[in-house]
Amino acid sequence: MKKPYALTDELNLLDAGTTYLYRDEFDDLVVKIAEAEPVCNVRVVRCFPISAGGRFIALHDNKDEELGVIADINALDSDSREVLADALARTYFRPQITAVYAITEEHHIPRWQVATDRGSRTFEIRSSRRDIRVLPQGRVLIRDADGNQYEIVDYRRLDSASLALVENQV
Amino acid sequence: MSSESTATDPILPQATDLPPEALALVPPEEKIRLSITTDIKLDGLYGSAWLVATDKRLLAFSPDGSGPPDIVDLPLTEVRSLEIQDLYGSGALKARTQTTGQTVALFSKTLNAQFAPLPEELEKLVRQARPIADDEKILRGRIDRSYLKRRCERCGQVIPRRMGVCPSCLESSKLLNRFLAYSVPYWPLAAASLTILLLGTFIGLTPPLLLRTLIDDVLTPASTSAATAVGLPLLGPTSPSGALAYLVVGLLLINVSRNALGAVRSYLLARLGEQITFDLRRQVYRHLHRLSLNFYNDRDTGRIMASVTHDVGRLQDFLSDGLQETIRNVLTIIIICSLLFYLNAELAAYVLLPTPLIVLVTIRFGKLLHRIYTPLWRRWAGISALLADVIPGVRVVKAFAQEHREVDKFESRSQSLLEGELRAARTRSLFSPLMSFLTSLGTLIIWWVGGNKVLGQSMSLGEFIAFTSYMWQFYGPVESLCRLNHRFQRAATSAERVFEVLDSQPDVDDHPGAGQLPAIDGRVEFRNVSFAYEAGKPVISDLSFTVEPGEMIGLAGHSGAGKSTLINLICRFYEVDEGAVLVDGRDIREVQLRSLRDQVGVVLQEPFLFNGSVADNIAYGKPEASLNEIIAAAMAANAHDFICALPDGYDSLVGERAVRLSGGERQRLSIARAILRDPRVLILDEATASMDTETEAQIQEALARLVKGRTTFAIAHRLSTLRNADRLFIIEKGRLEEMGTHDELVSLDGIYARLVHMQTEMSRIRAL
Repeated sequence: MKKPYALTDELNLLDAGTTYLYRDEFDDLVVKIAEAEPVCNVRVVRCFPISAGGRFIALHDNKDEELGVIADINALDSDSREVLADALARTYFRPQITAVYAITEEHHIPRWQVATDRGSRTFEIRSSRRDIRVLPQGRVLIRDADGNQYEIVDYRRLDSASLALVENQV
Repeated sequence: MSSESTATDPILPQATDLPPEALALVPPEEKIRLSITTDIKLDGLYGSAWLVATDKRLLAFSPDGSGPPDIVDLPLTEVRSLEIQDLYGSGALKARTQTTGQTVALFSKTLNAQFAPLPEELEKLVRQARPIADDEKILRGRIDRSYLKRRCERCGQVIPRRMGVCPSCLESSKLLNRFLAYSVPYWPLAAASLTILLLGTFIGLTPPLLLRTLIDDVLTPASTSAATAVGLPLLGPTSPSGALAYLVVGLLLINVSRNALGAVRSYLLARLGEQITFDLRRQVYRHLHRLSLNFYNDRDTGRIMASVTHDVGRLQDFLSDGLQETIRNVLTIIIICSLLFYLNAELAAYVLLPTPLIVLVTIRFGKLLHRIYTPLWRRWAGISALLADVIPGVRVVKAFAQEHREVDKFESRSQSLLEGELRAARTRSLFSPLMSFLTSLGTLIIWWVGGNKVLGQSMSLGEFIAFTSYMWQFYGPVESLCRLNHRFQRAATSAERVFEVLDSQPDVDDHPGAGQLPAIDGRVEFRNVSFAYEAGKPVISDLSFTVEPGEMIGLAGHSGAGKSTLINLICRFYEVDEGAVLVDGRDIREVQLRSLRDQVGVVLQEPFLFNGSVADNIAYGKPEASLNEIIAAAMAANAHDFICALPDGYDSLVGERAVRLSGGERQRLSIARAILRDPRVLILDEATASMDTETEAQIQEALARLVKGRTTFAIAHRLSTLRNADRLFIIEKGRLEEMGTHDELVSLDGIYARLVHMQTEMSRIRAL
């Protein structure tokens, strides 16, 4: 009997049980899907880079064709999961701001001096309205003048000095 | 001198802060050719790491906290590929050998400009180290350059989005001087305004002196003198009541002349301002039309429009308001100061004591207000953005029944605005009284010190009163001068943007000595033409063909293949980089632009109509056309019938705020517009792309009439529309890949055959 059409049939989900990820000798990401030949030099693309970084991760081959989508990174076996998490961390460089030391403004360009989980950093923002995105639960995404990205997990929980500085900007 | 070596080696980036440990890795016999400092270490943390290339090897040195540094050491002879990866939030450079692959550098996007040329430089070094076959590709990936424009080319400062110019490199005085130079042709007007300004200011400051005379010499005659006569200048001794009348008349005269001068001054200055801005606006607009399309592609329309309206307006404001106020304020301060010292030097010194404090507080207060209001403005902007988003989309809101959600969203933003407003109100209510208290300090000092002097008879009552009233007039100009910098800065920014337009040179312009293009037959030839909008990304490469007069050419190919660019080159909207475009055997760069475009007709996908009547629009390219010609053109374009059905016929207004014409109707008007010009070369850029089948048939019929006897280039995605073409050109990646009639190309079984096949499939799907 023919199965009725369901919208979710459109999904190109990979079966976590038969999808394996590893690095080859070129330090490139390789995916082996079920019985198919392994695909080298795979690129990872988060479908929800902001709201769900660990879910719906698309794998692209070197011609940028989608091979399939991993619905949940946690469903993979531990080795594959580790490799994928590492690939995501390399691809998506978005340090988390842990403290704000100073925000000085010159010619309407705010210059932030911050501490992040990747070390301290100074950056400038072109337009606070467009380049600072405040999300629910106090989450703040920042894009600096050069296109670098930063994140504050919850600005309301920063120390009081940082909070006072950030509050003026968001 | 090493002039020989610099002539052969371009200057490669050299890091100045290479640590000794990294230097130690370079064998003494090898020379460092290139080195660069990055800002992300190989362990992914922020910090300096270095990439060094010598003649023989590629070295990466990345300190790793407490542990030993990460070191990559690759002989150049083994490098098989270099890949630059443009990641989300950072970039990476990866090198591969025959058997391994390693990331050699990580860098934030801040360093994109420095890293962008690096792979090519490294490739050259690899090429020197080992022979590379022509078909061997070493470089992969590229860096997005769109962010590079965000920093000033001169100083590297970030350019604010609203300004569009670098504030640090802004030379305010130079710009404003240049702007003021526009007043030179009106120098008598400027001189008269300035004289009246000076005179008016001076007269305006005399009443307190009269007041002094009134009190000291008229109302309270010195008790020691028995005589009641009062000495007044010009009049000699007179009775107190006569003197009073004299003073009243004097005050009346002063007030009359002050206001009269004020009226004349404001008219003269307004006139000067209007004249200058008229000149400037005209110059900017004329220049805008001289500039090539390139200028418009690089900027957004709103910004360009603002330079004609907003920026020029702000300059006028500066001239007729800001500048005169500044002159008057400075003058007032100087005159009051000298009068105060003339009246009583000691008291004047006391009174001026709080001035620096007031200046300081005013500046501070201004900054504080800015800090408070900026977030407030941001919240306001958020509300307007929400409105601008939701009101035009109200049909969607209703269709999905989401009214309540939109209302909630608006209310939460309103709420946060309210909170911000309240916070601002608190600060403002605290600081405004403080400011007025400070300005009253001067008066307190006068009352105390001056009052004591009056009691001690060392100062007259009239002087005391005059002093007090000068004080009141003193602080206003001081405060206003404190805000001067901000005002000048704003005017300078506007001036910079206006002059940026004026200083742009058209890329495409008539060459000196370019002649008229005589009436042409319509032979179009491309001779080895190459063209790129952006250096390094060729859109047309080495394209050659000849089209005979009267021939119809269909241009097909994937989007982005270069079809529209080819057309842009025929119209000479852009200058070719290499080769030449010839019309009737003449290089189009050698003839006047106007004479070329007069003979080229264009029908675009989006038929743009100007505000005006139907007839005006048809005759746009030939304003002198007779009504006969207009109707004939409309008939040829299958437009006559629908035009006559409009209430005002050919006089109906079209454009933004008038009759709504359908896409097909607008397109037919634009075809009539092209026919009327009787061009020898005709360009149809997707002229029927957005039409339904029936409309398309009507337009096709009109076009068939239009193309007769003219050299025609037609771009179409729907290949069926190109059936009438004499020849088809299939463009792929800027090259002419296939050429021939429909049948020839189908039998060739190449790109065109594939496209035709795909479209047949498509129409089958559509038919489902």
